[in-house]
Amino acid sequence: MKRKLPLGLCLLMGLLMMGQFFIPHPVSTKFNTLINKWVIVISAFALVLGIGNLSRHHIQIIQRSGPNRFYSLVTLLSMLGMAIIGIFFGIDEKSLYQKIFIHILTPLGATMFALLAYYMSSAAYRAFRARSIEAGLLLGSAFVVMIGFMPIGQLIHPIIPGLAEWLMKVPNMASQRGILFGVAFGAVATALKIILGIERSWLGGRD
Amino acid sequence: MDLFSGFTRIDRRLIYLLLTLFVILPFFVKFRIPQNIMPQTKNLFEFIENLNPTSEKAVLLSIDYTPQTMPECHPMALSLLTHCFKKKIPVIGVSFDPQAPGLAIEAFNWVANKINSIARSSSDSIIYGRDYVYLGWKSGRIAALLEMGEKISNVFPKDYYNNYTDSLSLMKKIKNYRDISIAIILAAADYPQEWLMYAQARHGLKLGAGLTAVMAPKYYPFLQTGQLSGMISGMKGAAEYENLLLRYGYTETTGKAEIGMNSQTLVHLLIIGLIIIGNVGYLATKKKDKKMFKGTQPSRQKGRIS
Repeated sequence: MKRKLPLGLCLLMGLLMMGQFFIPHPVSTKFNTLINKWVIVISAFALVLGIGNLSRHHIQIIQRSGPNRFYSLVTLLSMLGMAIIGIFFGIDEKSLYQKIFIHILTPLGATMFALLAYYMSSAAYRAFRARSIEAGLLLGSAFVVMIGFMPIGQLIHPIIPGLAEWLMKVPNMASQRGILFGVAFGAVATALKIILGIERSWLGGRD
Repeated sequence: MDLFSGFTRIDRRLIYLLLTLFVILPFFVKFRIPQNIMPQTKNLFEFIENLNPTSEKAVLLSIDYTPQTMPECHPMALSLLTHCFKKKIPVIGVSFDPQAPGLAIEAFNWVANKINSIARSSSDSIIYGRDYVYLGWKSGRIAALLEMGEKISNVFPKDYYNNYTDSLSLMKKIKNYRDISIAIILAAADYPQEWLMYAQARHGLKLGAGLTAVMAPKYYPFLQTGQLSGMISGMKGAAEYENLLLRYGYTETTGKAEIGMNSQTLVHLLIIGLIIIGNVGYLATKKKDKKMFKGTQPSRQKGRIS
């Protein structure tokens, strides 16, 4: 019963939600609206779980007195501080919350992302070698796309932006379509496996 | 160490130094590289350009980028808002990424304040609730997308500023997707795909996207099928949109994307140069190695070290 009830519910809801997608009757629409509201409420619990997991993880690090405990302390204090500021002093454009977000978090996030450019340029220089025909082709197409999408590409030769666009619209699109089809079929197969009770890992990993 | 061998061993600190110089140079030395406008950017611009302000349909802007991707996506938001506000097309903002609301209100306020600073009357001004509304963040993205097709205020009963959504004058006219002319998703993640699957497939909503350069190649198939009415791709797309605004007389200068694009161009040229130098060094040293080991170490000659 402990396993059969969730499996039965999953099958029933899976079939109902699949059916309602093709039936535009008011009863079906109303049912869909109700379920969507439930999903939005249930999704909000992910936030509670996230805060819980983050807090537990960092409290454990602080308790163990490891060398990185100060970082964990900063994480917890920042989270708590931002929550208190946001809840009690508002989040509008002139609030302290917004000032901290724009003047501290935004530059920090941008800095972290900007560091990637340094690693990428160094890695591109070291790793991008024409060691084989395939690597040469990749290198050539990367050059064409990079130059073609730069404003200077047009000035170098008017054909380059067109060539870059062709690479994006034909070889790139063909491979992207293949990936998208693969992902879609995979998702359908997984959904069917869950609805039919073949895939049961969501029950907690036990059969 | 000979020259070609040195080509393959450039110190990473030198690369970092050159990169820094190339990034900051355009902020001090002003120069302008003319932008070639990509068709997908032009299509989105023309879609908004051809909207009728009297039709009472709004543009829905889903602002879902994060501080990390702000340099690419924020200029897109500013340009799109400038275009809509100057054309007097109402805008509704939403977010499904928890980091986005702070950036969204910054964008809305910046553009509204800029237009209001030169406005002469109430009709010239951009007023919250009448010309635009920002509804804030909501969890459960897919369910919210489906539900907004029935009624937007069901998903967002209150706006970002805690006003009842139905009490705002703009929202009295905008009930669901039928009252939206286009939804434009500005994101650094795969959010547009869910809009395509649920908001468009089920409700027929027209969609546009503003994506980071890394994400954009994935959406070319949707441009070809017409499921996306247009796309702004990376900082280049944002610079193109700024140029279009300038060309059509909506602004007097281009914005941050244009300056960023100059830095990006120089950095791309640096990376291309470095890759070429690295390959020249690699091929030259490979030839030299072949000559040196010819007949002595066959395993090394084949690239294997036994």
